[in-house]
Amino acid sequence: MPDYDAIVIGAGNGGLSAAAGLARRGIRTLLCERHNVPGGCATSFIRGRFEFEVALHQLSGLGTPDKPGPLRGLLQQIGVIDQIDFVEEDTLYRTGIPGVFDVTLKADRSEIVHALKEKFPSEKKAIENFIGLVWEFCHQLISIYYFRDQHASKDRYPLYFKYALKTGGQVLDEFFEDPCLKMAIASYWGYVGLPPSRISFSDLAMLLWAYTEFKPYHMKGGSQALSNAIVDSFLKAGGNVRFNCGVKKIIVSGGKAVGVITEYGDEIRARSVISNASTISTYTDLIDPETVSPAMLKKLASRTLGPSAVSVYCGLDCEPGDLGIEVSTRFISLNTDMDRQFALCRTFDSPEMCGLTCYDVADPEFSPAGACQVVLISLQYADHWYQIPPMQYADTKYRFAKGLLDIAELVHPGFKDSIEEVEVSTPLTHLRYLGHPGGSFYGFDQYAKDSNLFVSPLSPVQGLYSAGAWVGMGGFQPALESGAAAAKAVCRYLEE
Amino acid sequence: MNRDFRTEIEGYREIEKELSVLQKYAIQNIRPQELVTRITDRFHPKRIKMRVSEIREETPDARTLRFVPAEGYLPPFHAGQYINVYITAKGIRTARPYSISSSPFQTAYYEITIKRVTGGFVSSYLLDTVNPGDDLETSGPEGHFYYNPLFHGNDLVFIAGGSGITPFMSMIREVTDRGHDRTIHLIYGNRSPDNIIFDAELKERAQRHTNLTVANIISEPPKGYDGYCGLITSELIQKIAGDISGKMFYLCGSEEMNRFCREEFAKLNIQAKHIRSDSFGLPGDITLEPDWPASVRKNESFIVMLNGGVSLTAFAGEPLINALERAGITVPNSCRTGECSLCRIRLVSGEVFQPAGVKVRKSDRRFGYIHACASYPLTDLKIMI
Ligand SMILES: Cc1cc2nc3c(=O)[nH]c(=O)nc-3n(C[C@H](O)[C@H](O)[C@H](O)COP(=O)(O)OP(=O)(O)OC[C@H]3O[C@@H](n4cnc5c(N)ncnc54)[C@H](O)[C@@H]3O)c2cc1C
Ligand code: FES
Repeated sequence: MPDYDAIVIGAGNGGLSAAAGLARRGIRTLLCERHNVPGGCATSFIRGRFEFEVALHQLSGLGTPDKPGPLRGLLQQIGVIDQIDFVEEDTLYRTGIPGVFDVTLKADRSEIVHALKEKFPSEKKAIENFIGLVWEFCHQLISIYYFRDQHASKDRYPLYFKYALKTGGQVLDEFFEDPCLKMAIASYWGYVGLPPSRISFSDLAMLLWAYTEFKPYHMKGGSQALSNAIVDSFLKAGGNVRFNCGVKKIIVSGGKAVGVITEYGDEIRARSVISNASTISTYTDLIDPETVSPAMLKKLASRTLGPSAVSVYCGLDCEPGDLGIEVSTRFISLNTDMDRQFALCRTFDSPEMCGLTCYDVADPEFSPAGACQVVLISLQYADHWYQIPPMQYADTKYRFAKGLLDIAELVHPGFKDSIEEVEVSTPLTHLRYLGHPGGSFYGFDQYAKDSNLFVSPLSPVQGLYSAGAWVGMGGFQPALESGAAAAKAVCRYLEE
Repeated sequence: MNRDFRTEIEGYREIEKELSVLQKYAIQNIRPQELVTRITDRFHPKRIKMRVSEIREETPDARTLRFVPAEGYLPPFHAGQYINVYITAKGIRTARPYSISSSPFQTAYYEITIKRVTGGFVSSYLLDTVNPGDDLETSGPEGHFYYNPLFHGNDLVFIAGGSGITPFMSMIREVTDRGHDRTIHLIYGNRSPDNIIFDAELKERAQRHTNLTVANIISEPPKGYDGYCGLITSELIQKIAGDISGKMFYLCGSEEMNRFCREEFAKLNIQAKHIRSDSFGLPGDITLEPDWPASVRKNESFIVMLNGGVSLTAFAGEPLINALERAGITVPNSCRTGECSLCRIRLVSGEVFQPAGVKVRKSDRRFGYIHACASYPLTDLKIMI
């Protein structure tokens, strides 16, 4: 008799929601996490009097209690919805180029249209048309995939069939002239990790639509509060958790996953395994690559690693208002060339685009009284970081971080003088803490070819399932959803 | 849902074609997982096998141990970081963090400098039983007490007490050897002139480098001593450091000394953002802490039950992690001062004392997690590891 029905490898968002989903269905589950705290990306660390949020800038998909989004139901099902204090933000973001343009978009369709028309009066009509397209497109997409319309066809959903696989850039170009306007609308591109010229219109439209309809959220205590709440729910449902317990191998016998071997050499048997480790790790390291069919390895090789980032975590000894920080999320660009900004993600050159998140705007209790926390972020791929000699790593990291601080200082003078604590993370930091190649926290790059229209989650062996950003898209909501789906799939498998 | 409808999406066929080409000619974009391990180990090996290559006497009660790697190489570190040294003494597996005192300029070796502590379990072991040629395990470099060029500026005041000089020695060696453009005022407190670690080297470096000044403060001066005497007071700090505006103050001594100095800083209106401090251990006697419950005596013992199975005895006056280690239970640990959260465990029931300033996450507090190195039992406990 195996020790467990299921073993979950990794306590990131995907692993956590899978584990809780299983335990709450009465399935004997063990959760193994390499690190000493749960969460993966969804975690925090303390410096001085600040507890820094590592990853969550804006939680998507939650929705309000009376207009719930898909995530609300999921969190309800895994028993944590009442354990977390959510903080709703009324603004999507403020975006612009210092000295050129500056616009703030509220999380409300008509206010978005209004704000854009005011800033870009010569393209009023196009703005209305474009936002109309985004909303109608997303409704069609939802009907097809979430409500599973059995009769989906080109005639029923013309907008979806016309635009789904275009790039965001193609559609923006079709509607607009002003590059600033295009940037104002596409500022969320960093949340998928590809600029408008490469992101699919589906992804770009869904970002704008979903964050507006379901509102951006944050949590009291940061995302660590979510991770801890899920572990708590998991334990209450009878689950077992082991921290500081990396999995070295998945045991495969007779073409089936039947357990794991931990880094300490312990062999634990189970009837099924869910991996929240990266697909690369799962397929090339945790199971013997010979177990994986050549066709599957080829598919894997045709994909590319998504970006990581440099984050500059700043504890400031002032209130956000003292520096003129009035919205939680701000995107600051130095030019309208988003392709160039994206190209810079592969170099150490000074970044020309920076995300600035201040958690204390919506939640004044987030930091100690009289202080606030700001995270500056710029996407970065990892390859060039691999090349630096270790002795030069610190200098490189600080030089890059200084570029981001310079941008913050430009739009919020006095920023640098308010710094009480600073910590910098790089792709190598994420690589270390997550164990993912490239330090990628979004999983694979998300071109149209990488969407689930073309990629179906297959497993190389029976009884092995995957959860997390590597399965579909990156982000809290997708990772949590993939975990819930994996838990369901395992239940079906165990019943058979 | 009929799957075929997807093929009617504009552009579907093109992407399908692109994919088949990609898969046909797929070069291995994906580098193996092994790279992740290799890169992580380059900076943060889990454990380092060290050999003691040399032991030097610094003062009658302090020695420097030089570690060279027994295999592999030593990762770079920031001057000010520490390594955790693992030992087994009297059958107990435990560890203590020691700041690296050597210069980060080279990583052929790391040196730590150990001062004898009365009753110190690990320091006595390292001073009395370890010989050149012996092998030991350590962690990689850890800790956050180091110069950050993003906001520390160029005007630094180091305040050290006793063995608290060790991180500063590494920083001073770095700044002077590399010719960094940073000014350092070192204010170094010791009981007697005989206790001054690195005395000759510090004086010599101060003579050669105009950007370094060294002031020794002796709290129990012998008759006729003519240097600074007494404690490190605000007047003294101001006298030595001059104008304090724009300076960054680094503090490293016993918890008692750090507390005293923080009060002196307050008198000088030095803001939190201009103070960096590294606690060199928890308070010597935890029961003297202001919030310690009067009803619990230092040597009171409690039963700790583990994962619903094994039980062991723990004393109120010592960190829980020590009791666990005595019972043969190792909890991962690094800083042993409540900062790094490596020793995080779940408190299922019972009550512990956690000194102010222990860095436990907000949601960890809420869900009952504690840091075993900085938790003192006040009742019988049930814990989960
Ligand atoms: C700086 C930053 C900003 C972000 N901003 C946002 C945002 O604003 N909104 C948003 O929605 N998303 C954001 N994300 C992305 C989001 O956090 C991630 O995509 C998501 O959390 C990934 O979850 P995951 O399930 O894939 O697990 P991960 O978080 O990748 O965790 C994987 C876990 O598995 C463990 N593990 C791996 N291998 C093993 C093994 N062999 N044995 C045991 N354990 C193992 C790891 O230790 C880790 O805990 C951000 C991420 C980062 C880093
Ligand atoms: S060992 Fe660092 S917090 Fe306990």
